[in-house]
Amino acid sequence: MIEIIQLILESPFLQRALIAAVLIAVVAAASGTFLVFRGLSFMASGVAHAALGGTALGIFLQDSGLVPWFDPILGALLFSVLVAVFTGYAGESGITQKMEVAVGVSFALSMSLAVFLMYYIPPYRVPQIWGYLIGDILLLNNIDVIMLASTAVLLGFITLLFNKEFVYVSVDMEGSLAHGMNARAYHYLMLVVSALAIALATKAVGAILVYAVMVAPAAASNELVKSVRGVILSVFIIALVAELVGLATSFVVFVSPSAIAGILAALSYLLALQIKRMREKVHVELDDSSLETENLEEVLEQSVTHEHREGHVH
Amino acid sequence: MASEPLLEAHNLAVRYPNGELALHNVSFHIKSPSFMAIIGPNGSGKSTLVKTFLGLIKPFKGSIRVNGYDSVKKSRNIRKMVRYVPQRDRIELTIPMKVKDIVLMGRLLKKLPPRFASSKDIRIAKEALEQVDMAELWERPFPELSGGQRQRVLVARALASEGSILVLDEPLAGTDVESQDLIVKALGKYHKENDVSIVMVTHDLNPVHLLVEDVLLLKNTVIGIGEPCSIMDPELMKKVYGPTARIVEHSGHRYCMTRDSGIDRHD
Repeated sequence: MIEIIQLILESPFLQRALIAAVLIAVVAAASGTFLVFRGLSFMASGVAHAALGGTALGIFLQDSGLVPWFDPILGALLFSVLVAVFTGYAGESGITQKMEVAVGVSFALSMSLAVFLMYYIPPYRVPQIWGYLIGDILLLNNIDVIMLASTAVLLGFITLLFNKEFVYVSVDMEGSLAHGMNARAYHYLMLVVSALAIALATKAVGAILVYAVMVAPAAASNELVKSVRGVILSVFIIALVAELVGLATSFVVFVSPSAIAGILAALSYLLALQIKRMREKVHVELDDSSLETENLEEVLEQSVTHEHREGHVH
Repeated sequence: MASEPLLEAHNLAVRYPNGELALHNVSFHIKSPSFMAIIGPNGSGKSTLVKTFLGLIKPFKGSIRVNGYDSVKKSRNIRKMVRYVPQRDRIELTIPMKVKDIVLMGRLLKKLPPRFASSKDIRIAKEALEQVDMAELWERPFPELSGGQRQRVLVARALASEGSILVLDEPLAGTDVESQDLIVKALGKYHKENDVSIVMVTHDLNPVHLLVEDVLLLKNTVIGIGEPCSIMDPELMKKVYGPTARIVEHSGHRYCMTRDSGIDRHD
């Protein structure tokens, strides 16, 4: 135990990885939960790929000398926000299917743009674009951690403050509007903040880990846990455990920690589905037996009262 | 304020999102307070009318006012007064809401963030659930309830909330007789004991016939307006529901029977 603590204290890259693991779990709990509630789990991958297109645009603008100060991360953030706004616009009436389509379209558009721009970017900078998708939690620098931390804190704060609004918008958009809540504003706020968090998290730790912890833990928790707060907490725990086990494994075996975390997170969903099915079976059996006894009592009661009545008549 | 009509439409026309005319030449006015029903077959524009006066849809032509407030310019004022129950299938069931969360929603939506529930909110929410005989299900997950039970919880949400106008879109659709009776009784009692107006969209007037004061009969425009018995006119009903509609008189009131009364399957 002491050895492990010593190892952590001695290796800053491990410290950064552990901090990032906690921060990513916060992002998953605050953002992944609400995306799954809204049936928008696809948006996590849509935004990550849009960020890729934005990065390509940023590199192009910088490299061609058109806008030399334009950092590629600005492009990534701009594109992810555009996806969120486009998705939000399509779903203003509260219909999820329309939003899924919008995510799909913007996904395709930004990927096409990325590939289009790659022809005009010097070849040595192209890996920087793909680097977006394949990050590594063990290779973070201080700036990555600081950016991730500020995103996670902002996202956490907004979620603490407006979680009821985000839930209401997801449950009953029309009703929320009609009761006088500014549902549209919260609808956009939720999507834009999630998109920013996803883009920055992707930049920091890579898309694989972000997909893995954004969607699967929330989907798993939503199958089993029966309160909004419980789901948020459970997402945080599942995501954190998956990441820590991934990190630990990567020290024993030669393997990417993100891959292990991704596999574990996905397995948590499969497990949740299985547990739910087993629970439902038990419920059905219980329901059946309770129904039978109720019926029997009813029959008995009826027959007894019947006899009484007949007795009176006679 | 009291002299302002509950609803007042002038030459209103509204289009569906696909461009088709949902309502045209709609002009009427309903006194305030009232317990009113908007009736008509499927696709007759009932829900569209409601969404228009709530400011959720903009009219294509004309205007509609609620207690004197224009639906477009003053929708903020209207929404302060309104408690709304949308059609049941507009409520998403993928979110783990409990019965209490849904009922408290009616009260918390009228507050400002962070919208904490006070003990008063909880007491009023529980009382509202008692009205529809659902108080024991306070902690029960909402998505696990039957259709009728969910509808009762939504009505409780409206009863628990604040505002002088309750608007309910098809609160009786797809409910069993028990739930229907409970909902109708609770609404009738609430209207009598409080100074509120109730606007109910329904395809079947019969369950609320004895409570309703004004009826608006729609088929893309106003076909009839008046008391329940005057609307239950054989000619009017045939015009809207087709030649199979019959009027039945029962203990001094007129009821409309269609081929599949109670089931909404008219064209």
